[in-house]
Amino acid sequence: MKTSKILLTSVCCAVIGAVTAQAATAPASRMWTDTKGRQVEATFQAMEGDNILLQTKDGTTHRFPLTNLSAEDQQIAQSLKATTPVQPKALDASIAQAASKIDYLVAKGVVRANPQRAKDGLPPITSYNPLTSDEQFVRRIYLDVVGRIPSHDEALAFIQDSSPTKRAKLIDMLLDSEGYNSHMFNYLADMMRVTENFDNNNVRGVPYIKWLKEQVAANLPWDKVVHKMMVTSGKMWGEDADAPATGYLLRDSGMPLDNLANTLTIFLGTDVACAQCHDHPFADWTQKQFYEMASFFGATTTRLNGKDFEGGDRGMMLMTEAEKIIEANGGDLTRIRNGLQQYIGANRVAVMDRKENTMKLPHDYKYKDGKPGDPVKPKFITWAKSDASNPAYKQGKKDEEKLRNSFAAWMTHKENPRFAMTIANRLWKKAFGSGVAEPVTNIDDPKNATNPELLLHLTAEMKRLAFNLKDFQRLVYNTKAYQAEATTEAIAMGTPYYFQGPQLRRMSAEQTWDSYMTLMLGNPDTRKKPAQDLYSRAVNLDLANPKLDAKTVLMKYDAFRNIGKTQAAMMNSAEEGGDSMMMEGNMMGGRGGRGMEYFRASELPQPARDGHFLTEFGQSRRLLIDGGSKVGSVPQVLMLMNGSAQQMLTQSGSPVLTQIEAAKTPEEKVDTLFLSVMSRKPTANEQALAKREIESSGSDAFPNLVWALINTREFIFVQ
Amino acid sequence: MKSFLNQLDPLSRRQFAMRTAKTALGVSLLPFGAGSRAMAAEGAGFGKAKHVIFLYMSGGMTHIDTFDPKDGSTKSPKAPIKTKADGIDRIGGYLPKLAEQAKKMTIVRSMTSKTGVHEAGSYIMKTGYEPRGTIIHPSMGAWASHFQGRIKGVMLPDSVTVGGGGGHPGAGFFPPSLSPVPISSAEAGLQNIRPSSGDDVFQKRVSLMNEFDSGFRNKFKSEDVKAYTEFYEETMKLLKSEDLKAFDISQESAETKAKYGPGFGAGCLLARRLVEHGVRFVEVNLGGWDMHNTIDTAMDRNGNTLDTGFAALLQDLEDKGLLESTLVCLGSEFGRTPDINENDGRDHYPSAYSTVFAGAGIKGGYVHGSTDKDGRKVADKQATPSDFQATIGHAMGLPVDEVVMSPSNRPFTVGDKGNPILDIFA
Repeated sequence: MKTSKILLTSVCCAVIGAVTAQAATAPASRMWTDTKGRQVEATFQAMEGDNILLQTKDGTTHRFPLTNLSAEDQQIAQSLKATTPVQPKALDASIAQAASKIDYLVAKGVVRANPQRAKDGLPPITSYNPLTSDEQFVRRIYLDVVGRIPSHDEALAFIQDSSPTKRAKLIDMLLDSEGYNSHMFNYLADMMRVTENFDNNNVRGVPYIKWLKEQVAANLPWDKVVHKMMVTSGKMWGEDADAPATGYLLRDSGMPLDNLANTLTIFLGTDVACAQCHDHPFADWTQKQFYEMASFFGATTTRLNGKDFEGGDRGMMLMTEAEKIIEANGGDLTRIRNGLQQYIGANRVAVMDRKENTMKLPHDYKYKDGKPGDPVKPKFITWAKSDASNPAYKQGKKDEEKLRNSFAAWMTHKENPRFAMTIANRLWKKAFGSGVAEPVTNIDDPKNATNPELLLHLTAEMKRLAFNLKDFQRLVYNTKAYQAEATTEAIAMGTPYYFQGPQLRRMSAEQTWDSYMTLMLGNPDTRKKPAQDLYSRAVNLDLANPKLDAKTVLMKYDAFRNIGKTQAAMMNSAEEGGDSMMMEGNMMGGRGGRGMEYFRASELPQPARDGHFLTEFGQSRRLLIDGGSKVGSVPQVLMLMNGSAQQMLTQSGSPVLTQIEAAKTPEEKVDTLFLSVMSRKPTANEQALAKREIESSGSDAFPNLVWALINTREFIFVQ
Repeated sequence: MKSFLNQLDPLSRRQFAMRTAKTALGVSLLPFGAGSRAMAAEGAGFGKAKHVIFLYMSGGMTHIDTFDPKDGSTKSPKAPIKTKADGIDRIGGYLPKLAEQAKKMTIVRSMTSKTGVHEAGSYIMKTGYEPRGTIIHPSMGAWASHFQGRIKGVMLPDSVTVGGGGGHPGAGFFPPSLSPVPISSAEAGLQNIRPSSGDDVFQKRVSLMNEFDSGFRNKFKSEDVKAYTEFYEETMKLLKSEDLKAFDISQESAETKAKYGPGFGAGCLLARRLVEHGVRFVEVNLGGWDMHNTIDTAMDRNGNTLDTGFAALLQDLEDKGLLESTLVCLGSEFGRTPDINENDGRDHYPSAYSTVFAGAGIKGGYVHGSTDKDGRKVADKQATPSDFQATIGHAMGLPVDEVVMSPSNRPFTVGDKGNPILDIFA
């Protein structure tokens, strides 16, 4: 009881403190004396374990062991630690207030860990972890918002910035940068299993990928994006600007039940996959309920047949005609037939609503509430009794051709019991390493979340912000909970986590690759592949057009194959990872050989080919929802130690080495090295270690040091 | 076993869990409960498999066109063929080489699974458990490392997966160091084994890395950080080891390579090399089974790939005297619909499908269980993915009844209490 009272008081203070942040004054600077009597004027920033952080007038933050200070100053530091309010941030008042509310709920929840901790012999948690240093923060926020480490210059600029509002400003700046688009696309692509190669050989997700990137860049509200993916009709390469949104349904063309199960899991945090074949063994979902949901797509096809074309499908006729032309010209039909058939067939892969709902119970249906082959009427699932009066459920179900629209309207409705909650919970996990409710793919009962009030509040905030994902993340990143140090103790799989700070997380494959790209290019965010979409133009045939003749089909098919060959050649070079760019001997200026390799992960094939750095490092194969892996392996370590990616950074003349060499003194070179690779200044110990290496290896020292640092755990884990 | 655990107070349960976690590191194995489960474990074939090669057919292997041919309305586009074994009447017409090898294998025709979703189905076949959002269950190679410790005398990993990409359950709740080593391409083998610098420089770089990283490693006690450090250590040892050549199939003759064929076949060849050098568990993946369209064309291609690689593997293992100590098993997440669909393909079908076992005390030329006339339902001796996993565990001599606590203090067994299919052991 006592603990929670004290905590509550301090939280209330914090709330007021943050609201009036602009009025608060920073702690005064003073003269600090070390054990050797040396003095420096600086401002106390924070304690970080046994280290103290002081900021000198030039804005640089210095970190060193507290014991380096005189006994008197050590005491002063301890007292400042206890009384100094968290760094004041001149946030937009409304954001500050909203962030404080989240912090209040987190603080209330943190103490819930304590009964179990007491049993486990662990010390109680009373509040968040200590505030991150600027160096920790700058690395983390770059990785979380733009998906890469900051460059040397970016890290230094932030550390030296003396503005009290610099964290909030950096968050704003990063959320509005190109890097955000890239990183957010990677996140969504992993979640939605976005791939270039659909099941049908010639159907590629290229237009869909381009469209999704555009939605992210425009920061279109999440409910609108999802609604478009559910309701759009036609071919992926149709003329309408939103036609590529069909890629979401076509991704699983021919497997509508799987697609629906994934949809419910991804967007509603509800795993009903088991109910596809039988009553859900662990939850209340019945197989009937699953089919009732599927019935909303019962009139929708993802593969057109003859009846779906006005005036019939001319594909068969065109195929016969084309075969005649090939034979007449002495072409080898057996070699071309299959490819040509698939080429024409790709244009039958489209979303369309028919007049009749054909959803039926499966032939092996075994429950009493229906017989195999019975037609199934559409019906929305509910999670609680109160859902019956929920406005999201007021959707018409009469017009069979519009059932899909009813489903989309219900699912993306602001008041849908799970839609806002699911994306809010996911973005929380993206920042903290675990969701308020785990797993994020199956929230089940929100009351069982580690902090139910927090989950409900985040859901309400998502609605208040009208599904603006940028604004929602802005809030999360401005909380003290997020800006606290990462938790250092081990967290066992399956145990609840209460968000005293983010968890320590290994970088994703994309974050790691993009960080390497940062060391290669400084700022890799603006390097984009030409957006020209040759594929869509070449594959597109209007099979309903009576004027389309076999000769045109053959000419277009030829063009299509040529594009395919060019792309295959480019991809083969990509498969070599860094090797081919080394061969080009064209490293300076960051222009990779053949223009393929030096791009951020979001610009590379989705997913990357086998053997690519990204694949080896755990990029999702895009088969599973959130399929990316952060588990290490021997081949992965071999790649980090001996692979071409490390070579591109340690080879003489590499951009990172060039920048290091440009610094004047050995100490400054080591500073540059550390800021470039680790986003922080070296400790005195590390300076000494580097000095020893420089003395021993001469000009080879810095390649060795770069190698050593990119291979540390500190490099690949996000603090 | 379970009742004993329930009697423990929470603290001693936790200590038990901690100890299981420690043994999982491969440091030691305490024969906890060995007496009680040894009795259950007695039985034909127990512990005969010193090695396992698990051929995983990713995408849902059609049963009717491979190992469970039918004649009626659901028959395969290609006529089935007779096999060399009396006990196996016939198999799919796409598998002539395996028909020659039938005397070495048992076909289980009575598999049934609960899910028609690829991810969930694969997960169940590889762990015996239905996927849950709160835990990852270990795959069989990790279970074996947990119970039997690291393989001795060689620097090679306990388990290896060849092909197949991500999404593998790996070590599950055991430490990541028990994860199988993934090899993406058998032809390329283990990549990046030569340092880009000289050996001296390499050693120096490694020690610099450790010195610079010591502060971080002391501060963060997470299992993930520890596991990465172990991967680095293990890798360093492997690099110095003679056993490295086990990963290099280019040392095989052109004739041998031709027998196995490329891709999946090369994976089978690599599996044989690894087993020969002592690796305990190798999983080789073959994709392309998700045959929603034109099954005849798809089977011509994939059937031949499977037929060539699998048949060569069985013959080669026998020639090298490895078949007696090596269990070869073949599985898939589900079968495919008996009825051909409108695109001349077959769709997902978990109700009935087939698996195959060979070597390590498995009966030769034998069929266990059956489906009905059209391959729609299991007619006799139904077996589940949990039984499939328990069978592998039994063959390896693992205590399939023993309850192991996860770090989050939940009880698990090899193959989720599945029953080993004892009938298939000679």
